[in-house]
Amino acid sequence: MTAAPDVLVAGLPESTVDWLGRRLPGAKIAAAHESPAAADALAGSSWSLLVLDAGLPGLPAMDLLRHARTLPTAESVPVIYCARGRPDARESQALVSRLAVDHILLHPIDPEELLRCMAAMLGMTPEKEPAPAADSRTQLSAAVTGLWERFRGTVLGRVDAVEDAAIALLEGRLDEELRRHATREAHKLAGSVGTFGFAEGSRIAREIEGMLEGSAPLGQGEALRLSELAVALRAELERPHAQREVPAPAAAEEDDRPLLLVVDDDAELVERLSMEASGRDLRVESVAGIREARRAVARRRPDVVLLSLSSGEGADDGLAFLEQLADGSPPVPAVVLTEQTTFTDRVEVARRGGRGFLQKPVPPARVVDTLQQVLQRSAAGETKILAVDDDPQILAAIRALLEGRGLRVSTLDDPLQFWETLERTAPDLLMLDVDMPHLSGIELCRVVRNDPRWSGLPILFLTARVDAQTVERVFSAGADDYVSKPFVGPELVTRINNRLDRIHLHRTLAETDPLTGVANRRRSEEVISHFLRLASRQQKPLSVAVIDLDLFKQVNDRHGHAVGDEVLQRMAKLLLRAFRAEDVVARWGGEEFVIGMFGMDKGDGVQRLTQVLARTAEEEFEGAEGARFAVTFSAGIAEFPADGADLASLYRAADAALYQAKAGGRNRVCAAGWGEGEDHATESVDVLLVEDDSALAGLLMHALDTRGYRTHWLQDGQAAVDALLGASPALRARVVLLDVDLPGMDGMGVLRTLDREQVLQRTRVVMLTARSNETETLKTLETGAFDHVAKPFSIPVLLQRIRRALEGEPSA
Amino acid sequence: MAAKRILLVDDEDDIREVAQLSLEMVGGWEVIAANSGQEAIRRAAAERPDAILLDVMMPDMDGPTTFRNLQADPATQGIPVLLLTAKVRTADRERFSELGVAGVLSKPFDPLTLAREIADVLGWDV
Repeated sequence: MTAAPDVLVAGLPESTVDWLGRRLPGAKIAAAHESPAAADALAGSSWSLLVLDAGLPGLPAMDLLRHARTLPTAESVPVIYCARGRPDARESQALVSRLAVDHILLHPIDPEELLRCMAAMLGMTPEKEPAPAADSRTQLSAAVTGLWERFRGTVLGRVDAVEDAAIALLEGRLDEELRRHATREAHKLAGSVGTFGFAEGSRIAREIEGMLEGSAPLGQGEALRLSELAVALRAELERPHAQREVPAPAAAEEDDRPLLLVVDDDAELVERLSMEASGRDLRVESVAGIREARRAVARRRPDVVLLSLSSGEGADDGLAFLEQLADGSPPVPAVVLTEQTTFTDRVEVARRGGRGFLQKPVPPARVVDTLQQVLQRSAAGETKILAVDDDPQILAAIRALLEGRGLRVSTLDDPLQFWETLERTAPDLLMLDVDMPHLSGIELCRVVRNDPRWSGLPILFLTARVDAQTVERVFSAGADDYVSKPFVGPELVTRINNRLDRIHLHRTLAETDPLTGVANRRRSEEVISHFLRLASRQQKPLSVAVIDLDLFKQVNDRHGHAVGDEVLQRMAKLLLRAFRAEDVVARWGGEEFVIGMFGMDKGDGVQRLTQVLARTAEEEFEGAEGARFAVTFSAGIAEFPADGADLASLYRAADAALYQAKAGGRNRVCAAGWGEGEDHATESVDVLLVEDDSALAGLLMHALDTRGYRTHWLQDGQAAVDALLGASPALRARVVLLDVDLPGMDGMGVLRTLDREQVLQRTRVVMLTARSNETETLKTLETGAFDHVAKPFSIPVLLQRIRRALEGEPSA
Repeated sequence: MAAKRILLVDDEDDIREVAQLSLEMVGGWEVIAANSGQEAIRRAAAERPDAILLDVMMPDMDGPTTFRNLQADPATQGIPVLLLTAKVRTADRERFSELGVAGVLSKPFDPLTLAREIADVLGWDV
């Protein structure tokens, strides 16, 4: 019979050591509270297990361990290392390979996990928890954690006050009032944060209070110390919560509406915006300045930011903030709001990654429209999944199963690199293996859950064991769900779907047509119903189109279903490219597509679809035995509210128009209520902008629209030629702003075609080029351009050139 | 025997809510909450709690002033009062004790032991 194993626990509180002793009565557990004592203990006898906390006072814990590995008594003792903060890959690697640490646990240490880990390494079974009182204690801890989450914002606001005082003191402008305010806030912090488990936070706040109290003058030395303390206090309070022994129960009123951060010091505007936004499914947080905005973003990542920029000293700071948002991972989309005359260089905004631009005064409803469009665009991005498992075969299986279903899968087989990978990939969902060497999924999950930035991330566990104890561990670490290994494909996909649905990601597997990747019927019905509500509230048009490929059965019969599927896939791609990201393109079955276009009347819709039809006819397909063929489609369009008040009646009206198009010989677009064979009117505009950079185009269109010009925007050179050419063109423009670099057909090609087809006799072209290049300028002017503006340009200059082009234009 | 009723007075929402949870869950007591001295005086007179836990630093009417008001009213003068304070100086704490309160407790408190500390001072069972 072997003697009871000896365990040395270094650096953990006496209460924890006692508790471990009660739960592992078969082991002899000794405690060391400083590194000299630990070193002596390690040198004095050999141990079965060493539990070492990184916070052990004295020599740094890693140095102690290095020393221990040179002792004959401790060179091979198994080690559990309790790390502070988040060890990065290098540190973890050093612990595991150089110091032979067997298992890393992360602070705040979950005693149950520590116990389980120790028991497994000693080959023992822990005793059941004897204390019946533990239940109410655990419940209370969870409840206190819940309260902390609720009041965290208020408490951090108090730290703001202390920081403000520290900065004012550094800059020599700390007045009596600010000082008194900060003293009071520090006092409150000292008296409260300890209650939430931040004893060190209370201590720091107490020291701050002591410095600020009274009215003795404070020098530069104090100023530095105070700012250090303020930083330390914030860091302490932003650490994962120390008291959380069980995860906080999901708050019943969990609010998963998108979060809008408004950065504006105009209280009245903010108030009006908040009212508008909250009626339209946005949560609003507002701050008055850039500095507070940075703090707010660090606290909780907003889904979209509305940033008010003014000229003067704050402008650069605002632009830097904008850039920071765009560079974030993932980037936070931002819309910029400015005064008309004080901040003209909107190009600067677009270049810094601004996603939209509005000019004051602007009605709140309009602002919220823009924000929702931006949100929809960013939500349409791919769904990213990070899977962590030490078994590369499992990872390969996950990847094979999920990729190609609209999911992007990143995999990681080394849990030691977890933090870097998490930050880099910024996933929408995390999959973790329960048992991995050195660092378990449970530990990772607990710490992710404690990080405010990731606390909302759905987490799914993969586990080989589904016994009650494992399941309980998984859920108490904060997991959302688990799937047992070996997993069955459909089950895994369903579980992932459930999680993604829960956080309202717009693009889930359940909403996508598996063949073509466009929205499925259910999804499009939801979106169009949403559009209908918006349209009736905002009194805007909404069009629904039904598209049906012509003679598609023949394609299948002649060339086989594989070719038929390819036609459908390419058709879907074409439609996705042709419509704005805020439109919804869906496949409703067979060869039928349905498109919902918000803010477009059926005239706009006919025009857009006619262009798409022209592009479609140009696509070449390769069929059986190399035969080449092309396809066309017929389409019908109906408009809300003229042709129907709900989706069903709009669909019926559009379908009737589709029937007319088929009956009229196919390969055409018909609108509901328009007589058969009747030609649609040509749309006349003042300015047609042909520009593929949507950020720049957004700025220009806004500038033109607000000055009362009738405008139209196309992104593709070929589409511009199609729209402008012919006896009855879809578009007639007085001035065309034509970018040189364009998809479809480049600007020079468009210019030459317009010249050849004599469009230039009634339309003036202003070329937009990437840089001032004399040869290019001459060439465009020789080819018939009226004027030429080099990018980057300022909007006022361009507007002036447009006015010139519109003056004394050639007679139409 | 009916559960003890304790009146909890603090102007800070976070602390008041933690204390309330702690007294209810660990102490098993019924808690009446007030967020100012004025409200505390009113509710103490109307509801006659078994004890009052009173924060020292509150705007308008601070803890000591509230206590003197409670003492001045025959309806409430017999109710034991404990002060709750973030002040650490001995002089401050002695000054509070001399007011005639039943006890002085420190902030920050541990929510797991607050009820026990109060019970110890008042000789209650937890």
